[in-house]
Amino acid sequence: MKRNFIKVSAVLLVGAAVYATAACAKEEALDTNLIHKDQGVEKVVNLFTPVEKSNPNAGNVARTAQEISIMEAEEKLNLRVEYRSYTAEDYKEKTYDDVALDRVRSNMDDVYLLNPDTIQVLGAEGQLADLSGLDNVKNLREVVKAANMVNGKLVAIPQEVVSYGLFVNQDMFDDYDLELPQTPDDLLECCRVFKKNGIETPIGANRWWLENFVLAQAYADLYNGDTTDEEIAALNSGEAKYSDYMRAGFEYLQELIDLEYIDAETAYTYEAIEGEGPDFLAQKTPIVMAYWAAANADTAYGDVDFNLQVIGFPTKLGQMPVVSMNGYGVGVKAEHLEDAMDMMNVLMSDQTLQTYADTNQVISPSKNVEVDCRDALKPLNAKINEGVYVLGSNANMKLEQWGNTCLIVRSLLKGASVDECMAEFDKLQAETLQ
Amino acid sequence: MILLKYCNVSRYNISKKVILKVKKRHKKGKSGNGPGLILSILLTFCILGTIVYFVARRISSEMSQSAISNLSESLELVRGTIEAILDKEAEFQKLMAQEISVMGNPEKFIQSYSGSQTMVKISYIAEGTTKGVSNTGEEFTAEELDFSSGKSVGGLPVSTSYLNDMGTWAYTIKCPVVRNGRETAVLYIEYIYDSFDEALPSSFYNRKATLYIMDAKSRRFVLKPKGLKERTLGHLDLNDFYRANLILEPEIQEEVSQCIRTQRDIMFYHTIQQKDSLIYMWAVNEGAVYLVGYVPIEAIQREGDAVNQNIFIVVFVMLVAFVICCILYFLNNRQQMRYRKEQERERELHNQQLAEALQAAQIASSSKTTFLSNMSHDIRTPMNAILGFTILLAKDADNPGKVREYTKKITASGQHLLSLINDVLDVSKIESGKVVLTIGEFTLNNMVSSVDAIIRPMAREKGQEFEVLVSGVKQEHLIGDETRINQILINLLSNAVKYTQEGGNIWLRIIGLGQHSSQYEHIRIEVEDNGYGMSQDYLEVIFDAFTRAENSTTNKVQGTGLGMAITKNIVELMGGTIQVSSQVDKGSLFIVELDLRIPDGKSDEQFWQENKIHRILVVDDETDMGRNIQMLMEDAGVQAELAFCGEDALCRIRSAQEMGEHYDVILLDWKMPDMDGIETARCIRKIVPDGTLILLLSAHDWDEIEEDAVGAGIQGFLTKPFFVSAFKEKIFEINTAHDQEIQASENAKEHSLNGVHFLVAEDNEINSEILEELLEVEGAVCHIAENGHLAVEAFKNAPPGTFDAILMDVQMPVMNGYEATLAIRSLEREDAETIPIIAMTANAFAEDVRDAKDAGMNDHIAKPIDMDIVRKTLYKYLKEK
Repeated sequence: MKRNFIKVSAVLLVGAAVYATAACAKEEALDTNLIHKDQGVEKVVNLFTPVEKSNPNAGNVARTAQEISIMEAEEKLNLRVEYRSYTAEDYKEKTYDDVALDRVRSNMDDVYLLNPDTIQVLGAEGQLADLSGLDNVKNLREVVKAANMVNGKLVAIPQEVVSYGLFVNQDMFDDYDLELPQTPDDLLECCRVFKKNGIETPIGANRWWLENFVLAQAYADLYNGDTTDEEIAALNSGEAKYSDYMRAGFEYLQELIDLEYIDAETAYTYEAIEGEGPDFLAQKTPIVMAYWAAANADTAYGDVDFNLQVIGFPTKLGQMPVVSMNGYGVGVKAEHLEDAMDMMNVLMSDQTLQTYADTNQVISPSKNVEVDCRDALKPLNAKINEGVYVLGSNANMKLEQWGNTCLIVRSLLKGASVDECMAEFDKLQAETLQ
Repeated sequence: MILLKYCNVSRYNISKKVILKVKKRHKKGKSGNGPGLILSILLTFCILGTIVYFVARRISSEMSQSAISNLSESLELVRGTIEAILDKEAEFQKLMAQEISVMGNPEKFIQSYSGSQTMVKISYIAEGTTKGVSNTGEEFTAEELDFSSGKSVGGLPVSTSYLNDMGTWAYTIKCPVVRNGRETAVLYIEYIYDSFDEALPSSFYNRKATLYIMDAKSRRFVLKPKGLKERTLGHLDLNDFYRANLILEPEIQEEVSQCIRTQRDIMFYHTIQQKDSLIYMWAVNEGAVYLVGYVPIEAIQREGDAVNQNIFIVVFVMLVAFVICCILYFLNNRQQMRYRKEQERERELHNQQLAEALQAAQIASSSKTTFLSNMSHDIRTPMNAILGFTILLAKDADNPGKVREYTKKITASGQHLLSLINDVLDVSKIESGKVVLTIGEFTLNNMVSSVDAIIRPMAREKGQEFEVLVSGVKQEHLIGDETRINQILINLLSNAVKYTQEGGNIWLRIIGLGQHSSQYEHIRIEVEDNGYGMSQDYLEVIFDAFTRAENSTTNKVQGTGLGMAITKNIVELMGGTIQVSSQVDKGSLFIVELDLRIPDGKSDEQFWQENKIHRILVVDDETDMGRNIQMLMEDAGVQAELAFCGEDALCRIRSAQEMGEHYDVILLDWKMPDMDGIETARCIRKIVPDGTLILLLSAHDWDEIEEDAVGAGIQGFLTKPFFVSAFKEKIFEINTAHDQEIQASENAKEHSLNGVHFLVAEDNEINSEILEELLEVEGAVCHIAENGHLAVEAFKNAPPGTFDAILMDVQMPVMNGYEATLAIRSLEREDAETIPIIAMTANAFAEDVRDAKDAGMNDHIAKPIDMDIVRKTLYKYLKEK
């Protein structure tokens, strides 16, 4: 035993000596110049994207699907993506879309994450590069390509097909023995019951997403009938008026406001989720509206203490999801255009889209990628799989829908009448016809 | 010797004292110094640890100060760089305003000016108007610009930060355009914070440190550091910075606000993302903007941590080395201690062995002294008798009665002296390991008979009862050294006779125990007496040589004190055991156990069939004896029936006859109740034919009852204990009685040495004279040769047939007996090979007999000369001749 101990001790001492010698030894610099800076040109792509405010424990927060996708691209292309962002502190400040428009027009960045309205505007201005030449475009669903095609150019590509719906607290509905609303009248009845039972504002809203109510009611027939193309053609030619489609939705929204089921004043000032989210999480508000991924994100409604259900917006055709697609666009004069296009190609690959879809559990723009969604999202997913939905934006319509409707809804919130709002639509339609 | 012994004892005592002292010292060391030593080591380590800790802390503190100083310098450098850029911008704007002031159409110049990455918008408003022109083409008003902060760059007012048309954070410096001392217009140039991006360090503390530029008035972050990822990107303003980094202490926030208001720098410690960090806010351009950020302490104290880590590694390695050294020292010390203890143990053992050896030597010396004393006495006593009677013999030579009496006593004393010498020689041989067992086949019957023949007369002389019992022995024919077994029995029995008072009892029991294997008979021999017995002390040394029980009674008994030692050695040589138990005045019991080989099968059955003995009747009142005989006979294939008294025997015989059967032999015990054996024989003889053999079985002498027995029709006598072999011999003897009688008379004639001519080789004159006389008494003639050579010469020179036999001594000068025999046998004459040569020597051991035969001699006769033996031996060879 002693002999073994001596052997082990000797080995340990020799090991320690070798380790210490190796650790302390430093290779002598042979060059006169002691500074060795990598002279290689680092590939950089500047990405302008909206971000949520940093979490106090940001280092330990799980990466978002977007960040994971970007990292895959960085790794594959050996480049560095520099994030640039803008977040308005309040409603008085410029919106992200405003800033995005300015930055694209001023050629400040390479790749931009854009909302549908800005995509359409910038696409029409020719500020965005044509992405149709990317290899992986072939994997995209046709509806995705069609929704982002402006003047024959594919100007943006989404990472997910964003589907908006009503997020409802099923427990609260159960408490008052209420069925989930199918039609606008159902929703009014539910709100009445909630209101009657002391829930001050049954529907939590922000200044961004109320247009879903309007769009769902406006285009339920158009997108779920057999004459979609004809009707769009009529709108583009001026034979039909957008205001005719929109009026019912605006009147309905006005009714919700008048009955104080929606607090117009706060809604006008609330940022998405940030404003109405806390009351919904605290079960003070039974209904909010949000996009699909909010049901998966812990920072939104991914971790709730109640039975969450995500359903479509009530229309006379029943629950109707509103599908929208924000996407990445590349500045046509981007400083790092080539690298940006490469990055886009990677982001659109099935592999990266699969990672994204798996992480966020969202509908992928690639026809080759499928994903399982959580139970709460199944009602909404079922509708989309049935092909029952309304497009929130459609590049085929000459009048941009998503942004304009949003702005006009804000006017309503600020007190404009439904007629004034319809007049605004007519005015905008007239501009498109000129 | 005494001195040596004293020295040994003294040395032993001294070494014992030294060992005790060393042990005490060790004990003291173990119990006293151990805790003290451990405490000392612990104290040393505590002091060392404290010193290392404080040194490390001091290094850490100094390095921390140095790191903070370095950080401050870096921030100063960044501040200086930004301020230099701002100054240059203001300087350039002044020059531009100066140039514009002399231009005829400044608006056109402005509109023609293209923007740069730094100056993104140049605007001009003429004095007295609110609207002007910009190089971007649109109309320009200064309404949205806020110069209320009162900050300036190079003397020019600077606006608060705002989000410009490019979607990025910007500020505007306004510069008056002065012509001829009068302000004619204002030149506004918009700069973007992005232009500072290149001025900021790209890898601030290896990207571990962050550096924002914050507008002091709005506290909005107008430039974010590079390398932020999505999760860390969302710091909007100072409040958001506080929230995201959990800097929620009101006093800290108040302190920071105070510093911003008073345009002072601030740096403080706080935990950010679970890491101790330094937060810094550095006022730039008189506090118009601030450099804001944080750096983990570990990032700025890498050198200090590395130094401390190295110190701890060195201390740890030294500690490990020290511990290993301690363990090695401890192991070595333990081995040394063990070695010392072994040495001490060995020394103690050695001393003990020396003491024991000394004691043994003293005892041996004492024993030998006693032995010599006894020998002197024991030898002198018979020698005295021999010499004394020899003198008396010379004196009374004419008185035949006296002569016969004296010679008888001389012979007795000589016999005793001879046994004494034999014993001494036996012990000598045994102790030197020269004893060789002579293994051969023998029968228990013969062995017991010969022992009985010797012991029974001795016992009778002392009026003692000697009883022999044999039981359970299945094999009478055994293989072993009969002579040595006899010697064992005779030694034990003669001692029993010697040490038993007159009229006492002596028993010899031979008991067959369970056989260990089919090839060996396990025999227990018990010799018991009810004599004087022995003390327990003597029992412990009884088997040691030269010891003899001594007391007032036994002192009268003569002996060498070697008998028991010889006995024990012989028993052990045979692989057996011997035990003794005894009580003073009650008697002794010796138990010898031996395993004796059984010879290959001998067919007894054939003998009994040849002699037509198939069925016998055993009549004995002792049931055990009867059953033993029955068992032995049935093993031999003879049916044996038992009768336990005379009447019973008669009944059985009658009923057998009635059934037309008969007994071939009837064995009758003599002593039986009611009707003894002789009476029973008489009755039996009346009803059975003469052909039926009747034998008497008794432990008593046949002589006493022979006449009555023969008269009663008894044809023979068997001594107890019963042996099948003895029974067989008796049957054979009776059947061949006539032939034997004839043979006996022939033997008597032929045993005579009358007329035989011997050649005697004997160097000792007395011995040769005695032999010559003795042979002469027998009618023989002898020629004496004084050594082997002369004997050979005498034989060679004599014509063939001159000598009938040669009696050859062994130890002789010139040529010994063996050489002489070889020489004679090698002579080329016809009787050289055939003439009987008998060794007649005092070399009386078995190996001497073997050596004699090996040399070519025919037989061996031991001195002193016993004429009966000489006659019998010579008759054997002379008859052949």
